[in-house]
Amino acid sequence: MRRWFESARLDDDPAEIQAHKLALLADFCDHTGQNPGELVSGLLRTTKDGHTAIAAKKRITMNNTIEEFVEKSGFTGKDAVVNGNIIRGFLVHNGIFIQGRAWREGSGGSPAPS
Amino acid sequence: MDIKQVMGNRRSIRYFEPDKPVEREKIQYMLEAMNRSSRAVNADFVKTIVVFRDELDAEVLEQLKTPTTTAEIDMAPVHMFCYLDLAYTEGAQGRLKELVQLGALNASHGWSEAYVDEVVWATVLKPIASDPSILAYIGAIDAGVAINQGMLAAVDAGLGVCLHAFNTEVAKTALGVPDHWLPLHLLLVGYPAEDPLTGGQRPRRPLSTQCFVGNASTPWEEIPEVTEQLKKDGLIQDPVDAEKRRAEVKALAQRFGLPE
Repeated sequence: MRRWFESARLDDDPAEIQAHKLALLADFCDHTGQNPGELVSGLLRTTKDGHTAIAAKKRITMNNTIEEFVEKSGFTGKDAVVNGNIIRGFLVHNGIFIQGRAWREGSGGSPAPS
Repeated sequence: MDIKQVMGNRRSIRYFEPDKPVEREKIQYMLEAMNRSSRAVNADFVKTIVVFRDELDAEVLEQLKTPTTTAEIDMAPVHMFCYLDLAYTEGAQGRLKELVQLGALNASHGWSEAYVDEVVWATVLKPIASDPSILAYIGAIDAGVAINQGMLAAVDAGLGVCLHAFNTEVAKTALGVPDHWLPLHLLLVGYPAEDPLTGGQRPRRPLSTQCFVGNASTPWEEIPEVTEQLKKDGLIQDPVDAEKRRAEVKALAQRFGLPE
């Protein structure tokens, strides 16, 4: 989490926003039954020649899990996009290349990724 | 716009106005710019599938979204899937003969209809067509030249562009791509939501590190007056201001609900 905050410069955000992001990640950890380190390590794999790579199928699963979490948490509209992407932001700043939806004004956002 | 300004203004745009449609006329300008590019054996190396995001079948659109493409697909209104047609040697003899007849290829440089009819296939085209790696690398070079012309046309038309990787298997099925089309790039197109100049040019190394004169160990020495003129003409622009850019990215991320 330290890496996330430093890389994204979240320490500069107002205290209540920082608290929201941390609480959201904590809730997501509860949802998955994994701690933050396990969320990241579960999306990485070691190749035959010893390099670190993204586990592509697990990343698809993670994206779906994030969408499930957002829906279960009752977020809708832009809040759903923003909060899902807060979780993805934690993963991104820990080295996981992952994208979620972008909020489009007037369209209600695009459907969840399949 | 002056060509130096167009080349200088080109940036990889990653935030697009998602709901501002791109005119079909501008897309055709891009496609025609690609069609006018330099090309060996006068072949049509690039096959481009233009996808207007909001006109695509919703199910197909969802198939194209992956954990590495979703945000881009949501933001860019137009997606141009660029492929290398590996069948580009087919018909090459006929096209070369046409160029000879038109005088584009001429005897001054050794070209003749007899050479094209009797020699070219066995000594030039067949060796290319029969070696997949040579076939791909020769084609990829000319395809890149064409794609770049399309990108510059887009900048000239006030659009933003960015080359992007894509899920080739999903696209192949969703878009009905033939087996002999080799995936190259996804060219994202739209009106920039970010400053089209993104605060400055990306860092580039001096010419002396990559250009040489006479041999591979004598660096090109820049002519300072030319460098200054190219700055005045807009080809060379100030580098990006990282702090300003960081603030812009934060604002864009908040607008689109994306990770900061």
